[in-house]
Amino acid sequence: MSRRHAGRRSGWGLRSRVTAGFTAGAVLVSVTLAVATDRVAFHFLVQERQNTAVQQAYLDAHLLQADLAGGSASLARVLPSLKTGPTGHVLIYQGGRWFSSSVASTHHDLPASLVGVVLSGAPATQRLSTGAEPQIAVGVPVPSLGIDYFEVDSLAELQGTLRTIGTILLILAAAIAGAGALIGWWAGRRLLAPLRDVATVAAAIGSGASTRRLASTDADLGPLVSSFNAMVDSLQARIASDARFATDVSHELRSPLTTVQASVDVLAGFRSALPGDGATALDLVTEELARFSKMVQDLLEISRSDAGAAPQELVPVDMAQMVTAAAAAHRRPPVPVSADPGGAPYVVRGDPRRLQRVLANLLDNAERHGGGAVAIGIDRRGPDVVVLVDDAGAGVDLADRQRIFARFSRGSSRGRGGGGGGTGLGLAIAHEHVTAHGGRVWVEDAPGGGARFLVALPTVEETGTGAGEVGP
Amino acid sequence: MARVLLIEDDDKIRTALSLLLRAEGHQMAEAATGEDGIAAFSIRPADVVLVDLMLPGIDGFEVTRRIRRISDVPVIVVSARDNTHDVVAGLEAGADDYLTKPFVGKELSARIRALLRRATRERNESPRLRVGDVEIDVGAGAVVVGDRPVDLTKTEFRILCELAVTPGWVVSRQQLLDRVWDYEHFGDTRLVDIHIRRLRAKVEEDPAHPARLVTVRGLGYKLVP
Repeated sequence: MSRRHAGRRSGWGLRSRVTAGFTAGAVLVSVTLAVATDRVAFHFLVQERQNTAVQQAYLDAHLLQADLAGGSASLARVLPSLKTGPTGHVLIYQGGRWFSSSVASTHHDLPASLVGVVLSGAPATQRLSTGAEPQIAVGVPVPSLGIDYFEVDSLAELQGTLRTIGTILLILAAAIAGAGALIGWWAGRRLLAPLRDVATVAAAIGSGASTRRLASTDADLGPLVSSFNAMVDSLQARIASDARFATDVSHELRSPLTTVQASVDVLAGFRSALPGDGATALDLVTEELARFSKMVQDLLEISRSDAGAAPQELVPVDMAQMVTAAAAAHRRPPVPVSADPGGAPYVVRGDPRRLQRVLANLLDNAERHGGGAVAIGIDRRGPDVVVLVDDAGAGVDLADRQRIFARFSRGSSRGRGGGGGGTGLGLAIAHEHVTAHGGRVWVEDAPGGGARFLVALPTVEETGTGAGEVGP
Repeated sequence: MARVLLIEDDDKIRTALSLLLRAEGHQMAEAATGEDGIAAFSIRPADVVLVDLMLPGIDGFEVTRRIRRISDVPVIVVSARDNTHDVVAGLEAGADDYLTKPFVGKELSARIRALLRRATRERNESPRLRVGDVEIDVGAGAVVVGDRPVDLTKTEFRILCELAVTPGWVVSRQQLLDRVWDYEHFGDTRLVDIHIRRLRAKVEEDPAHPARLVTVRGLGYKLVP
């Protein structure tokens, strides 16, 4: 439940969030800067342009004054010769009349407010955005000539400059935002790297590398590393003490069991002298004692593998020989063993004692729950040696096929009832041992009815040291 | 039938095992410590010694070693732990066999019987065996390698005899288990291997490179004629 909760909360991973945060920050900063720069540049450039225009107007007016003063040249004749640049026009107001340097330009193009200010005797400028392109209008009064001088010029050039600046700023802003995203992604990666280490080590510990610990690489992560390692240590101490407890209990039980067993064996000698009920009670004690002893041994066996004891003395083991011997050693009438005699030997690498235990437990299980083993086979499947034990029982229900390998599981179906004097650990031990050998154990339906237990163990290439060699 | 010395510190186990073995017709001697056990043995040797490995004072391994120094009596070590290490160490100290607690009476008496039978069975076989330069006087229980007499325990002697009756032929570990220990000791090759190692230490010039008692890879052992 908590897992689902956590999953819902983190629709976005930490790294995505860090990246997004950096990106958003970069966008905010770069856009603000760009807009501010654009505004400042705009005002500066426009102001500059206006100043220039006013100066130009005074200069032009001055030139005009010189022209007019030099002779009897009329205003209307001089006007077109005024140099006002390729896009400028001049308009002059004299005594209630308007003169224009261009037919395309009339005093109606001039804003009334501007004209008003100039006519009242003060110079003025105004930007116009009424036409197809932005323009600037400048007016200066020239009292010595009795005229008011107006110039109208295009601002297209300035507009172009501003547009270029804007484009550059936009590109810069985008670049900064991109850089922000990159830095965010990288920082997220760096930040999460120690967590990845934690995950890697945790996974390694989970899969059995119990001695792995986190290395402290960063002062800021010291507390995390040490608390993680402390947690693993204490968990492992706990597991070890649990396993040791089971071992200790089993060991402690051995001495009284030895006494009780010997005493019961002595009593068995007097069985014929006991009254009927006494003999029955003695039989019960004898049977249950055997089961109790077996359980203590099984508990020891399984707590040893819990404690992580790796199979000792791995040697090449010929499974065909072992299966034959196990079948022969089985108490019941001998079970037929089928193996391909011509094939290569069925050699695996393992701990002979544990592998014997696996076979014995499977045969025992067949005996107890499957009406006895009816066939044992050995086969090769791909890279594995497979041992099959078929019994004469009713088989194992699909639902139980995993469960029966769990500790103290009691089969519920098809007559594989509990009881029967088993310890409830036989198949679990078989499972533990086979797994420790890198193999698999499972159950299927036998072709002739009943259950078929299979053990698959990885084979080894027979090396020069050979099977069963123990040295001098 | 036989005199059994039981060295065990747990009173209740000692009492129960004594009852059991007495019921089987054995004559019992008991000791609660290793020191007492060795003292009892030196005063009056037993036919079989049963030693618990975990004893106060000198432990079962040391008791086995000390008894082995003065006698070739069959020794069974009893371990409360069935870890390989204890069993191997006990056998290496010179024990002939081992038992892990708890065990059933039948198992114990079968082992004692097997050890006692071994000590007497040789007399029925051919009186003298000679394989290479190994000479065995079956009747007298004496072995001479070259012209050097070697002192073997009864179990070692039995193994050598089993190998000597078929010189040059391989005898498997399981066959040796069946013939020498002769009860269900299924697949416990440690018992065989450790005894072979001890035997080699006595009959080979260089035990690391055996020339007489050789291992046949994957099959067993043979005595080279």
